[in-house]
Amino acid sequence: MRSEIERRLPEILLQVERPARYVGGEYGLPDMDKPCRERVCICFPDKYEVGMSNIGTRILYHMLNDTDGVVCERCYAPDEDMAAALRERGLPLFSLETKRGLTEFDLVGFSIGFELQYTNIAYMMDLAGIPFYAAERDESYPPIVAGGPCVVNPMPFADFFDAVLIGDGEKNLAELTQLHMRCRRQGLSKQAFLDLACDLEGVYVPSRDNPTRRAVVRDLDRAYYPTKVLVPNCEIVHDRATIELFRGCANGCRFCQAGFYYRPIRERKPDTLLRQARELMDHTGYDELSLCSLSTGDYRALKQLTDGLKLEADKRRVKLALPSLRLDSFEAEIYEDTRGASLTFAPEAGTQRLRDVINKNVGEQDIRASLISAMERGVKNVKLYFMIGLPTEREEDLQGIVDIVRSVKDLHRAYGTSKLLNISVSTSVFIPKPLTPFQWEAQIPLEAMLEKQAWLRERLRIKNVRYNWHDAYASVVEAILARGDRALAPVIVQAYRNGCKFDSWSECFDYERWMRALETCGVSADRYTREFDEDEPLCWDAIDNGVTKSYLLAERHKSRAGLTTPNCMGDCNACGAAKLGRCYQ
Amino acid sequence: MIVLRYVKRGDLSYVSHKDILRVLQRGLKRMRVDVRYSAGFVPHMLTYTTAPIPLGAQSVAEYFTVECDGIGAEEFLTRYNAAMPSGLRGVFAWQVDKNPNLAGIVQASDYRIEAPELDAQAVERLASRDVWQIPIVRKGKEQTVDIRPMIYGLHCEQGRLHMRLATGSVANLRVDAMLRALNDACGCDLSLHDVVRTAQLARDTDGNWTDAERYLI
Repeated sequence: MRSEIERRLPEILLQVERPARYVGGEYGLPDMDKPCRERVCICFPDKYEVGMSNIGTRILYHMLNDTDGVVCERCYAPDEDMAAALRERGLPLFSLETKRGLTEFDLVGFSIGFELQYTNIAYMMDLAGIPFYAAERDESYPPIVAGGPCVVNPMPFADFFDAVLIGDGEKNLAELTQLHMRCRRQGLSKQAFLDLACDLEGVYVPSRDNPTRRAVVRDLDRAYYPTKVLVPNCEIVHDRATIELFRGCANGCRFCQAGFYYRPIRERKPDTLLRQARELMDHTGYDELSLCSLSTGDYRALKQLTDGLKLEADKRRVKLALPSLRLDSFEAEIYEDTRGASLTFAPEAGTQRLRDVINKNVGEQDIRASLISAMERGVKNVKLYFMIGLPTEREEDLQGIVDIVRSVKDLHRAYGTSKLLNISVSTSVFIPKPLTPFQWEAQIPLEAMLEKQAWLRERLRIKNVRYNWHDAYASVVEAILARGDRALAPVIVQAYRNGCKFDSWSECFDYERWMRALETCGVSADRYTREFDEDEPLCWDAIDNGVTKSYLLAERHKSRAGLTTPNCMGDCNACGAAKLGRCYQ
Repeated sequence: MIVLRYVKRGDLSYVSHKDILRVLQRGLKRMRVDVRYSAGFVPHMLTYTTAPIPLGAQSVAEYFTVECDGIGAEEFLTRYNAAMPSGLRGVFAWQVDKNPNLAGIVQASDYRIEAPELDAQAVERLASRDVWQIPIVRKGKEQTVDIRPMIYGLHCEQGRLHMRLATGSVANLRVDAMLRALNDACGCDLSLHDVVRTAQLARDTDGNWTDAERYLI
């Protein structure tokens, strides 16, 4: 029988923009009619085109659907026109596959990847008719859980959820789903289920505040990876087949949360990746294949892999895309194979001194050599990424950014084979993130951010150079949420009530609404953007993510002394993550 | 070269024409058909479609021409249906020697819509008008357009409304604009999602309407 939602959907879909985002019907849909004892919905607090590009939820969606007795569906944050149309008709937010309201599921999970998506959790819960706080939801509501990279510090949103899954979902979401199925069969209550969930690895139950250790897939090579994936009918952000080379990163850049969170480093074998790539290309019909990892250039068998991939890709007229190559591991040969004409570099800081502070182990000579080889190969566009507001930053470091840009121009004049060279320079604002050596650092004040941006804007008025800067106001809110504690849950709700949603979309972000929300809740922004005391307890200490606090602290001290730490591809730096599983098996 | 007739129904009717083209081309890759590519700097598949229907309307008569080698019509259809979402089910395939240029020869489309409450006599009165002016927004500007010359057929039969409207580069009347005009004139509430395109037509040498498929045999 068709649900009320399905019956009324056509009239709504004719009124909203890009209705294909709300109907499902993609090629590769799993069997929704199989015998089902547990119906799960994975929610992604951003638009369809962003959520469908996310590899984490793609893996978990297919993993659950490939599990006996489990059906998994999807739900994304609808645009405002769709939300208004639903509200007008008193219809709840629904899943794409069977058009069910979220409360009709046995288990609901949110994947949270970015601080500026937090208000969208409230937005989606509100549209689905779900009370924001777990404590306000009785047994009639399914358990609502969270996962994703932001669980490094789940405290700002912890009170919204019955459980927070810390670490690799292939492990803890699979186990949690099985546990919930068993509990329901035995007629146990949600509360009894949550008591049992505390014993699973990587499951933090906020109402119990249980000590939690991150769940880790030890053998990534044998871990589940879907190749019969959904192929969207409308364009999405990353519209291509993707293979995941490895998880973790050996480099230890001191500002980078992902670099520490995803340790230990676990690789897939080139043969496994080749097989997955072949299956993906054949199943999806995509004309582009990309490699995903934190630092693709560091994959140990990269040459062997890309040679194999190129052969398979050419056979199928598939373009091979190689993003995110780090400066020191940049191989000109690889670049030539991709037929691209642009080069992306992220020195992050303008001087060697500051690069040592942040442990970005890239020397002047590396930069120069890589640039010369790129120029000789006829590169037409160079993109440079830097951060401003890094700890210990001085004016000469900003000047260093300008100097690098000028030297790129000089190198092009001396070695370039292309007629014209466009340089684009982007700066983001440093945000101190939990589980990094910089987790204690202050964020520079808003005024300082604006001044530094203006300073650079003035000096980067150079022919064929374009300067983009990341919004300072959004960076302040991101910093507050990144190191936030449980006092921020009411602030997120208030911000949503003030009209905040889709904060990561610059056209939707509204700083004033956030500041008003903080004020209403009596919470000061400075409490989260200031320098943290090394002795004070940090609210994310309750969660053992692998890397130890003492290691992070030692790294902080080394940074202040301008000392670098080599990457972990040689000797182990003993960061502590090895207890979760060895790096490079 | 293969010409395929396929449907556009259900969820897939909300996918735009541009997106459908990409969906079809990805399907061709999954089918492992040896499609010919253009010889330009950025090679693209040599495929052709006919005039799009508005987003939300359904169809049982969409056409897709593919320049390809080494595959017969029957085999093409089988592989196509195995590689595509059901909302784009293939109905028939023809093997042709040269591109029939359907987009060029099609001059009208037949549409039908279930409309049990529509007053047949009111429709008859509308059909007998000499002039039917409605506001249409073109390139962001509202203009008054006489749509009557672009309506080649309009009648009600057993609770179904049948329309034959101009399609193509010479004259074109979008079915959504036609529906708005009807809803305004008859005070009814016909929904675009209930519209189905049933045929695409060309004029034969005598000036009579004929199904475009005749040119494929």
